[in-house]
Amino acid sequence: MKKYFIVFSVLLLAFSICMTVMTITSCAVSQKVKDKTGTQLWGENCGRCHNAPGPGEFSATNWDIIGRHMRVRTNITATEEKKIIEYLKNTGN
Amino acid sequence: MNKIFLPLLLLLSCNLLQAQEKIDNNQSPAAPSTKDGQNKFAIFGNAEMTFLSDKNNVQFGEVNFKPIFLWRISDNLFVEAEPEFETGGGSLDIGLEYANMCLFVNDYLTLHAGRFLPKFGAYRGRMGEGFINRFPTDPVGFGDGGIGAMNEVGMGAQGGFGIGDVKFNYDLYVSNGPILLTDPENAGQFEYEGYVGNNKGKAVGGRVGFLPLTNSSLEIGYSFQNKKKTGDAGSPYENVGLHMQAVDFNYFGHITPMLSDVRLIAEYKYQKVDKATYFDAGGSPFTFDNSPSAYYVTGAIRPVHVHNLFVHNLEIAGRYSQFKRPADAPWGGDDTHQFAVSLDYWLKWNSLVKLTYQDQKDEPKAFYAQVVFGF
Repeated sequence: MKKYFIVFSVLLLAFSICMTVMTITSCAVSQKVKDKTGTQLWGENCGRCHNAPGPGEFSATNWDIIGRHMRVRTNITATEEKKIIEYLKNTGN
Repeated sequence: MNKIFLPLLLLLSCNLLQAQEKIDNNQSPAAPSTKDGQNKFAIFGNAEMTFLSDKNNVQFGEVNFKPIFLWRISDNLFVEAEPEFETGGGSLDIGLEYANMCLFVNDYLTLHAGRFLPKFGAYRGRMGEGFINRFPTDPVGFGDGGIGAMNEVGMGAQGGFGIGDVKFNYDLYVSNGPILLTDPENAGQFEYEGYVGNNKGKAVGGRVGFLPLTNSSLEIGYSFQNKKKTGDAGSPYENVGLHMQAVDFNYFGHITPMLSDVRLIAEYKYQKVDKATYFDAGGSPFTFDNSPSAYYVTGAIRPVHVHNLFVHNLEIAGRYSQFKRPADAPWGGDDTHQFAVSLDYWLKWNSLVKLTYQDQKDEPKAFYAQVVFGF
């Protein structure tokens, strides 16, 4: 079991280095939520926990319901909910 | 406890009035998105089946069906409910995962009441969901018999807001909370998913999440839960207190040179229970330091930007977890740890097949296969 831990630790270290590079890169562009598009917010927020569903996955009515559910489950802001759902409704229907 | 309840009730009253005003305004025919009598209703959820092979078992088993019912009653009112049908125990087990009524007061505040998924840490009720967890199993210390509640019955306030280009989110709740078990086999453990409380004490808990990066790719959370009275009312254990804390970390990003998306998820939980004297089956008293802790680290990589469809749908994940249990507890003993590696194939954004090898201390090495269909 110890060898697994060592292997996993090394992988984690390598992974962390990659993450640090990515983090520094992502810090470079500063942008407030209100200035972001629905597409941007969809990619940034939905994908953080699960694969982001595409616009054609659900009907406009269902997207309205899902938006509320996700706001409760993940505490996305009202602005994010509105922009993401508008993007998904307008692109997929 | 009144010190907590009174401000919360005052806040609730003020916000209900404000929300009612908003509801009235929404009844204007100009732009109602949901009219009276036109509930927006939908059912989503997932179905799962797990295959297990180790030196003692080769069998299909643990079929779970978890429909989620959602009603958007109006712009401000929302109900979510999930019954759960499970067969892992050898018979059909039906439970109510949550039935949560939500009132959206404004952009920054949502009040809720009912049976809900408390945000104590991020694994249970969120990262542990069938189509989010890359493994068919839970990390040690994070499943049944681990630390922290899966469900709570009570009420709470939650929301999210941005300051500049960073974001915060919060949850604060009051609930019946965990119930202390005192029978010889389980003395010092808790019933975390009770439908009713066992005394007048209430648990107070919450989580604060911080997303420091402008692209929201990183979330760090701190959670707590305290309950001063966990034992049955009138029993010598009534005033045994429980204090829990958790820290969680979730990063999602792209590695362009590898044409891949990566995830790094970690969580640490700690629990401290007040000293109490329990009795074994022979009636002899015993006590122990009841401070278990657990953590897990998961990394996953999916070459989602590769054009080959088969490769594009593959994901590889590894997880290490450890559970430190009280050495002198009847249910405790040595610390345990677990390593798991998984090769997953995504059939759809919320449906996948998981092939997992797992090695856990004092358990036979096991191969799992799990199918999860989201709907």
